[in-house]
Amino acid sequence: MSGSKPDILWSPHHPDRYVICDSELGLYRIGPVGSAETKAGTLPLSEETAATLLAINSDTPYMKCVAWYPKHEPECLLAVGQANGRVVLTSLGQSHNSACKELVGKEFVPKHARQCNTLAWNPVDSNLLAAGLDKHRADFSVLIWDISSKFSPETSVAADKIRLSSVDLDSSTVVTKPLYELGQNDACLSLCWLLRDPKLLLAGMHRNLAIFDLRNTSQKTFVNTKAIQGVTVDPHFHDRVASFFEGQVAIWDLRKFEKPVLTLTEQPKPLTKVAWCPTRTGLLATLTRDSNIIRLYDMQHTPTPIGDETEPTIIERSVQPCESQIGSFAWHPSSQNRMVVVSAANRVMTDFTVFERISLAWSSTTSLMWACGRHLYDCVEDGAEGVESMIEKDIATKMRQRAQSRYGHDTVQVWRNHLLAGGNDPQLKSLWYDLSYILFDDDVEEMPAQRDAVYLGITIIEKDMECWSGSDRQTDVPRYLSEERCLALRLCGWISRGPDIDVEIFLRTLEQEREWERAAAVALFNLDIRRAIQILNKGATAEKGDLNLNVVAMALSGYTDEKSSLWREMCSSLRLQLKNPYLCVMFAFLTSEPGAYDGVLYESSVAVRDRVAFACMFLSDAQLPRYIDKLTNEMKEAGNLEGILLTGLTKDGVDLMESYVDRTGDVQTASFCMLKGSPGDVLKDPRVQCWIENYRNLLDAWRFWHKRAEFDIHRGKLDPSSKPLAQVFVSCNFCGKSISYSCSAMPHQGRGFSQYGVSGSPTKSKVTSCPGCRKPLPRCALCLMNMGTPVSNCPGTGKSDEKVDLTRENKLAQFNNWFTWCHNCRHGGHAGHMLSWFRDHTECPVSACTCKCMQLDTTGNLVPSDSS
Amino acid sequence: MFVARSIAADHKDLIHDVSYDFHGRRMATCSSDQSVKTHSGSVWRVTWAHPEFGQVLASCSFDRTAAVWEEIVGESNDKQRGLSHWIKRTTLVDSRTSVTDVKFAPKHMGLMLTTCSADGVVRIYEAPDVMNLSQWSLQHEISCKLSCSCISWNPSSSRAHPPMFAVGSDDSNVTYGGKVQIYEYNENTRKYAKAETLMTVTDAVHDIAFAPNLGRSFHVLAIATKDVRIFKLVPMRKESTSTGPTKFEVQIVAQFDNHNSQVWRVSWNITSTLLASSGDDGCVRLWKANYMDNWKCTGILKGDGSPLSGSSGQPTAMSTVVGSSVHTSQNALNGMSAGRYFFPPLDLPRAGTRYGHLLPPSSLIEHCDAEPIQPQQQPLPHRHSSRALLPLPEAEGQ
Repeated sequence: MSGSKPDILWSPHHPDRYVICDSELGLYRIGPVGSAETKAGTLPLSEETAATLLAINSDTPYMKCVAWYPKHEPECLLAVGQANGRVVLTSLGQSHNSACKELVGKEFVPKHARQCNTLAWNPVDSNLLAAGLDKHRADFSVLIWDISSKFSPETSVAADKIRLSSVDLDSSTVVTKPLYELGQNDACLSLCWLLRDPKLLLAGMHRNLAIFDLRNTSQKTFVNTKAIQGVTVDPHFHDRVASFFEGQVAIWDLRKFEKPVLTLTEQPKPLTKVAWCPTRTGLLATLTRDSNIIRLYDMQHTPTPIGDETEPTIIERSVQPCESQIGSFAWHPSSQNRMVVVSAANRVMTDFTVFERISLAWSSTTSLMWACGRHLYDCVEDGAEGVESMIEKDIATKMRQRAQSRYGHDTVQVWRNHLLAGGNDPQLKSLWYDLSYILFDDDVEEMPAQRDAVYLGITIIEKDMECWSGSDRQTDVPRYLSEERCLALRLCGWISRGPDIDVEIFLRTLEQEREWERAAAVALFNLDIRRAIQILNKGATAEKGDLNLNVVAMALSGYTDEKSSLWREMCSSLRLQLKNPYLCVMFAFLTSEPGAYDGVLYESSVAVRDRVAFACMFLSDAQLPRYIDKLTNEMKEAGNLEGILLTGLTKDGVDLMESYVDRTGDVQTASFCMLKGSPGDVLKDPRVQCWIENYRNLLDAWRFWHKRAEFDIHRGKLDPSSKPLAQVFVSCNFCGKSISYSCSAMPHQGRGFSQYGVSGSPTKSKVTSCPGCRKPLPRCALCLMNMGTPVSNCPGTGKSDEKVDLTRENKLAQFNNWFTWCHNCRHGGHAGHMLSWFRDHTECPVSACTCKCMQLDTTGNLVPSDSS
Repeated sequence: MFVARSIAADHKDLIHDVSYDFHGRRMATCSSDQSVKTHSGSVWRVTWAHPEFGQVLASCSFDRTAAVWEEIVGESNDKQRGLSHWIKRTTLVDSRTSVTDVKFAPKHMGLMLTTCSADGVVRIYEAPDVMNLSQWSLQHEISCKLSCSCISWNPSSSRAHPPMFAVGSDDSNVTYGGKVQIYEYNENTRKYAKAETLMTVTDAVHDIAFAPNLGRSFHVLAIATKDVRIFKLVPMRKESTSTGPTKFEVQIVAQFDNHNSQVWRVSWNITSTLLASSGDDGCVRLWKANYMDNWKCTGILKGDGSPLSGSSGQPTAMSTVVGSSVHTSQNALNGMSAGRYFFPPLDLPRAGTRYGHLLPPSSLIEHCDAEPIQPQQQPLPHRHSSRALLPLPEAEGQ
């Protein structure tokens, strides 16, 4: 350590104090930022911590190395090694302890002046201070001083001491006789006491590492190596030592000291400091010159001295505590993986914690678990509403919520499904309205021939369309009409049943939903400007004088047919500034030439259904298919669910849904939507099957087993081929015939159970014997009645409370009557009895059977997370 | 949106891996504390099998082995261990070097286990009899030439996608080229063949994760190297006559160096819409794509759960709050059952009884109005037909 280069030492006892030494010693206290003493003097170390300078000591010039006295008292005692080889004891801050006063100022002077390279206090016998010096001819280079020598307790009068230390410092406190002298004719560059035996001192000498034993100073163990700098013992494995030379770190095992157990990859620049982490096993931090990164070596294995030939796995990491070049660093003695780093220049300090490698895992329920060091953290997506709900929730969370709100299950009012989905997704809204129009078009019911066609969506309808056009006399705008076009309009929702093509009903609905602009546009497209203006006026009143709508109404009323009027010119230029797309397309329509409606048709913020309806009214037979094809491909590409209107639930629809799933992962919507497409070829599409399987798998993973079952039922209704076959049969012990088969062979399975009777039911016929051979069925292990006997009132279940829900009760009663048995011990009985038994017991109800039936099934012990 | 809290674990040393079970109810962690010598080296990874195969775990270690564990109920007389304990069913000792990752293959392939090791060999084992977890036969041995650090199966169960896995290498030599290799099973040769090498990934790869496919037509792969990368593998429509491996159109969707250091782990959520990554900066970052498939960071959480403050350009939607650490003696009971594994019977994240006993399904009756007459479908019923540990719903079927 040169005089200018700073170093850091943590106090061995105060976890919040450290010393920076460069040309002087500075004692700092670290504390949380913004705590009580937010004085001007505090230096920010990190976002949370700041340091306060407590004391400065510049008594000792030419410092080469510093070591902190390891004992608790006196607390701020430091040994400083100087360039002339002297070791001075000095103190930071004022201590009133007499022992400290005794020690402070003591000097230990070698025979020949040369640089002191290193100092090390003995960790056990704290009176021993080892100093490593440069070579001086045949002199010793390792001197061990006893700081208590010449310590005379009887002269401990405070006043005397002060006088002594100030005046007679040189004469009375200088020690010149070391306790031990080691390493003759050699230089010592680094030192450390071995933790496994405090009488052993490891020294990095010139070209060899030597272990001196204080009990026998004439002998030393040594190994020739260049790696002699910065010897340091691993505080967790006392036999493991690290030392370095230039850019290379060598790790030694003292049990086989002949050669390093491993050497770490060489750094391009020479190392300046190597330190084991005191709070974590096997973590070595190294610092090279002129660098702003600290390289960490994670040795995650127990060191073995005996011939394991495998190269130990070392995880190499690098951290960058600060931007500037690092002068030195020091691990915090107790705080986990924490270090303070001081910059090479200007004494900029940084408090820094090395994080462990974090491993993480998502649970199926969108909660993230990670492990950092020894700790686990759990993180869930917070369902908090408010500002944060602005950010869209993840689709997994959405699907969970939708599954719980029975999304997709409303088969009567199909459009309501978008409300179940939360009602705020325009695409889903459009999708379910489309499906609702497609599936429940009354006219279609009357024309069964067209029923299939409707499923196919507008694209197909459009294709075989022999159109006749009727042109409207009012203006010169040609409008087209045909049966198919009407059907298309109906699917778009513009007109309802019947032969008339009146949009008034639709307009009123839109008015009710306060979609003024859209209503006005629809009215205008039906060439009823007066109505459009009326709607806008109404809207303006309803929206408390929305000036915008009034202005638009005013502009509309000025409509003129003339091709080159000022009105037309202004409208086509200003319409682009209108924010509402419907207002925009209204003027686009009014200013377009007949047949050239690109301004309307390609306005992507207008709903697809409105654009299609518009196209059906105003595009010629040649233009229409081209437009529809183009739009369909666009929708398919984008995975826009509005396009289902065009594709229907056909293969094209599956293609469209595929890009929707690719984009969003919403297999829930895809499954429910495609299940509506009864024609088998859609459901048989492997992609559709894949979505359904994935959705079921999701429900399983969320433990939404009831939802999964509901989904299966729903699916079974729409797709009979998906109904699973019976998987478990109960067979008679005697004749081997299936008992359950005879039950399910009855016309209605439900009746098979209803004849067992629920409590209060008049028919109490008993099926307690095998229908095949009339032998009795086995007995329930609890009530000892033959199976088939209805369960008497289940003890513990508050029947009176549940009476209200009769259907529910029926089902439960039926379930209580069911057979159930343990597949391990083969004991069983009524399902209801078994469940109530295992609520309080772990072992089988049959005496002398120790089977822990219920716990054998881990999944069965999981509580479903959906409440149905 | 995301709130972090601390959980008490019993480990005395670093936790190397965490793994949730299928239902997100139980969690396995592995560590390097050597309190019980299950492995003689650090355990790198731990992973759960699908619950259909029972409560089965696999772990791999520095000691060159991988092990398969099964939970056994009711046979232990040791009251300290509670009602269940884990026993080691097998030790797979084929590797000559540290086994760096272990993963179960997707459920539809049967009970298959894959290991990869530092000498660059991927081994695929199969338990031919799912009732007997002590017998595993080595089915495939694939040499990847480079030291392997991580492996990930493509979870897609679609028949259109043959079994496929990706291997990452932590070899730091940039000149060796692509560090991520993708292998695909060929029906005809009955072997795994390399389908793709991601040549653009030249730095050491620390973790790799296929996204849950969820019926998508392409595969997404997240890679933890010196940065976070997300690749999209779009299978080219191939002619039915061709027998070679599927050709993929490889697109890099995102690449983030926000960690500003090595990235250690990546993990997908169940819908593959959220990616979490952890790096040497001590932060967990969450990534999400918008509808335009643009990925961006939606959250940063510090590794110790403390809030991240003062950094510029961070989304504000994330609030990290360290909750009070839940500590009960219950986890000690469960935690020590297999030495270094920690199995808290996890409840719902929001429920207060996280460490409660596994409850018998007392609520089953209350919940059971889902037309119990309808038989519940089990994904692969025949696997259970002879199995003692029969899940309740099957009996419920009749």
